[in-house]
Amino acid sequence: MSLELSIVTVRDIFQSEVQEVGRFSSEYQKMSAIIILDKGDTKTLGVADGGRLLVESSSGSVVVGAKVDDQPHKGLAFMPNSPWSNQLVSEETGESRIPEYKSIQAEVSTTDDSITDLSEILARMRE
Amino acid sequence: MMAICTGCSLLCEDIEVDFKDGRISTTKNLCRKGLGRYRSLYTERASPRVDGREAGLDDAISRAAGLLKEAKRPLLFGWSNSTLEAQSAGLDLAQKLGAVIDDTSSFCQGELLEMVLKGELPTCTLDDVRNYADMIFYWGSDPSNSHPRHMSRFSYYPRGEKRQRGYDEDRTAFVVDVRLSPTASMIKEGFFKLAPGGDASFMESMLAALGGKIPRLQDKKKVIAMVNTMKRADFGAIFPGLGLAYSMKGRMDILKRLVDGLNETSKYSVIPMVGHFNMRGFNQMLFEKTGFINRVSFADGVEHGPKQSIIEASKSCDVALIIGSDPISALPGGVARSLAKIPTIVIDPHRSLTSELAQVIIPSALSGMEAGGSAIRMDGVRVEFEPIVQGGGSLPDVEILKRIAEAV
Ligand code: SF4
Repeated sequence: MSLELSIVTVRDIFQSEVQEVGRFSSEYQKMSAIIILDKGDTKTLGVADGGRLLVESSSGSVVVGAKVDDQPHKGLAFMPNSPWSNQLVSEETGESRIPEYKSIQAEVSTTDDSITDLSEILARMRE
Repeated sequence: MMAICTGCSLLCEDIEVDFKDGRISTTKNLCRKGLGRYRSLYTERASPRVDGREAGLDDAISRAAGLLKEAKRPLLFGWSNSTLEAQSAGLDLAQKLGAVIDDTSSFCQGELLEMVLKGELPTCTLDDVRNYADMIFYWGSDPSNSHPRHMSRFSYYPRGEKRQRGYDEDRTAFVVDVRLSPTASMIKEGFFKLAPGGDASFMESMLAALGGKIPRLQDKKKVIAMVNTMKRADFGAIFPGLGLAYSMKGRMDILKRLVDGLNETSKYSVIPMVGHFNMRGFNQMLFEKTGFINRVSFADGVEHGPKQSIIEASKSCDVALIIGSDPISALPGGVARSLAKIPTIVIDPHRSLTSELAQVIIPSALSGMEAGGSAIRMDGVRVEFEPIVQGGGSLPDVEILKRIAEAV
């Protein structure tokens, strides 16, 4: 099952703390490689909290963990601002040359693949 | 001993630090983010490297100078985590090299900060807010995550000279956001939830209400009541965050109209929620020197424009010097891939995705802890600090830049 969602990136103090201490730590990945979804949307997708999701935009894709939100926001998802969310952000920036960090259109689907890690993101950079 | 925190642009100055065996053992008053900054003194530190191999500091500096000297169009990027002294040395280097220079404001708060620095938006200090403000407006900002002590030190909770009775009696606050953020959940009655991208039309409806017209929105009554409350305030402060910056890019004239309108009957100021500890310092310094806050090339006099932005320069420059920033993490993947293709020199206290791909890594002292200097707080107040940790072994940014400049 897959869903078209709008993704807005957000700041998170716990993730910021871990980012300061260790960009390459497993905690940083755990707090960054996630997508926060509306409960109804997770039901439609058939994914539980912690389940893996493939998130694809026209610019790139990542596999991240699902997080179920208590707040309802059907069709809308949140991701902490990170290298994971940035793989989905378009390099087309229009006149302002400011990327659309808070307006990402993506298709989200369940997957058995493992969570994208930073070495995978770095490997893509080296291509 | 007393210290400051460079974890965000609040530059908190009331940090207490104790040492044991030369290492920091306990701290007081830091928020989580600041604590992370302090803990990072001992984690993931960078070491000098050239072409993927360990190297001496002198070799790294001379290789960096060599790369920059040979470059036809060098890019100097980062700066928002550097002291004013380092920024000034960076500007000298940019002029000497005829380089493109840009900072992180280029893809976040630049537009708003430029309006503040040009005097197009009235502003005030955070101390004014604590002492006088009775109306607080967080727009697309979530200080409890981004600037964790903003609300407690300055904007909402503290008692101030004319605000002695505490926040529940003395201050009214509104939050506009696309989600019930932790900040919004503290101020539920004043929360307006928008659809993503809905800021401009919401602002238009506030303008309508301000002009005595009926806003074209479902929440008409609530908007009218809010605007009336805002009009009655003595002293209002608006804190635009990244939510507003991204949603309204290119349309900030609407914000200016709103603030001008509110200032007809009351007194309103705007303080953009600058993220990194000295981004404003860089923007102010470049503005004083060139009339532009970012995106400048010194190749032929002073040129400014989109071509000089990190987004374009990542594709058009042939060598990049990145200081105190991790653009490979922060830029859209496609732009980061372009940047990854050009030889890069990284000056940073820590390892980062950018340093993993760099040709030259020069480790630097952590500003605020291992290196002293000065910086400009988000509201324009200058803060000076001394190093509190001795013998970290790395040079301060400013000295690294001076040594590179001597060698080119
Ligand atoms: S609010 Fe900012 S400056 Fe103050 S302690 Fe937290 S991170 Fe440091």
